[in-house]
Amino acid sequence: MSRPGRQPADRRARGAGRSHSSARSVLAAYRSHHLKVAKDSAHRLWQAPVASAMTWAVMGIALALPVGLLLLLASLQGVSAGWESAARVTVYLADEVSGADAQALQSRIAGRDDVAGVVMIHRDEALAEFRAESGLADALDYLDENPLPHTLLVTPVDDARTAAGVDALAGGLEAEPRVARVQVDLGWLQRLAAMTDLIARAVWVLTLLLAAAVILVIGNTIRLAIENRRDEILVAKLVGGTDAFVRRPFLYTGAWYGLGGGLVALIILQLSIWWLNGPVRELAVLYNSDFALGGLPLDGAVGLLLVAVVLGWLGAWLAVRRHLDAIEPGEIAGP
Amino acid sequence: MIEFRQVSKRYDSDHTALRQVSFELGRGELAFLTGHSGAGKSTLLKLILLMERPTAGKVVVGGQLLNTMPRRQIPYVRRHIGAVFQNHQLLFDRTVFDNVAMPLEVMGVSHQDIGRRVRAALDKVGLLSKEKMNPVQLSGGEQQRVGIARAVVNKPPVLLADEPTGNLDPELSADIMHLFEQFSQVGVTVLIASHDIALIESMNRRRLTLTQGELLSAGATMAGSPA
Repeated sequence: MSRPGRQPADRRARGAGRSHSSARSVLAAYRSHHLKVAKDSAHRLWQAPVASAMTWAVMGIALALPVGLLLLLASLQGVSAGWESAARVTVYLADEVSGADAQALQSRIAGRDDVAGVVMIHRDEALAEFRAESGLADALDYLDENPLPHTLLVTPVDDARTAAGVDALAGGLEAEPRVARVQVDLGWLQRLAAMTDLIARAVWVLTLLLAAAVILVIGNTIRLAIENRRDEILVAKLVGGTDAFVRRPFLYTGAWYGLGGGLVALIILQLSIWWLNGPVRELAVLYNSDFALGGLPLDGAVGLLLVAVVLGWLGAWLAVRRHLDAIEPGEIAGP
Repeated sequence: MIEFRQVSKRYDSDHTALRQVSFELGRGELAFLTGHSGAGKSTLLKLILLMERPTAGKVVVGGQLLNTMPRRQIPYVRRHIGAVFQNHQLLFDRTVFDNVAMPLEVMGVSHQDIGRRVRAALDKVGLLSKEKMNPVQLSGGEQQRVGIARAVVNKPPVLLADEPTGNLDPELSADIMHLFEQFSQVGVTVLIASHDIALIESMNRRRLTLTQGELLSAGATMAGSPA
């Protein structure tokens, strides 16, 4: 494999080099054509500013609505996460448990990993409080002994302050001997979680519907653009333009519509948040809350623009598939 | 270069446009396709451009059988065929230069090459000075020459023309025909559909005559020389 083997290898290498450079020039031409088409389709949109602005506005509103609701939802979920810190487990001990035993149990529960703190309410203390607050002092005097048990108020650690975490803690406490009853005030928490879940689902349904609407609007706009450029499409097909070549300007047009719509949506969102946040803060202060509407973070904004571009492109793709392939240059040549 | 073997074309409404048409055009040959309107001239050109498929028989262009050509291959066949139409099919939203550049653009030719080749084609038809104008500003004869420049800018081996002199006065028509002769002299196979009998007779070239879809005379195959 010395000389005879090397020669073809050399030739192969040269051939590969040549095809490489020609592949590169083809790629460069391809790229410059893409750039030209992208510029040209953007230019066409600028040339019809009113029509383009209307499409952008429709798309912007359709995108801003679900994204705004999602932002509101995220803010609400942040608030309910704050409220969960109030979750507490109340443990009623059995009647016969003595004060010393109750204190021992208190320190054992305080030693659990998922417990942040335990406050003990002695049965006498409880009775005194009850007597003072209920107005049943006279009735209580008729009782021979204190009917109230010792009570432990258990506060979970931060990590366990979820509906599931608190449930698990309650189960663990119930298994303790001398514990008569464990009461978790989770009802309202679960209701809130269920509500935000429901609202989230409704918002997602709305999001899907509006995304479909955006695709249809862009598809229809592109359909009109295809009709307007019928002659150009015919000539391009006649001189050997591939389907991809003919489709390209319309796909770019769709993407530009998407980008414009995404920018309009961002502007609408920022303006709405800025306009609403003053009153929302004032209201929140009245409730001792630092609640504020969260704006769209940078990655969220970029994501919104990307989604908008993809939706525009998709709408254009649907229109192009449906209407462009039907245009054939046969009609040019006459009957 | 172009070969028809027993080609028939029937449209759905049992109207038969072509019946058993057979002929062969060699490289560099210039031929006229004549016949009354409705005789099947346009159908024959459409078969070559793959705008229609034959009902029976074989159409071969440049050694490729077109009957079974898959749809996605059609653009690549059309890149080897220049076509000129009576109504020019120019686009009025762009300059003469951009009109002529279209066949090169669809092929992905680089920017510099496009400039060079478009100017060469415009020079050939004598319109180099008007490259920046809109076709609307040109006369009918000039528009037709822009159409011809577009048809030949990528140097196709086959050039088809459908009534290219239909709207032109005799002097301009002779100019256009002279251009076609020049292309055939450099090896392009040229087929011109026309019913301008006087012009055809003055050219003294091969004639394919269609009558109600049948080829009456196919002339002799003599590449590049008058029949």
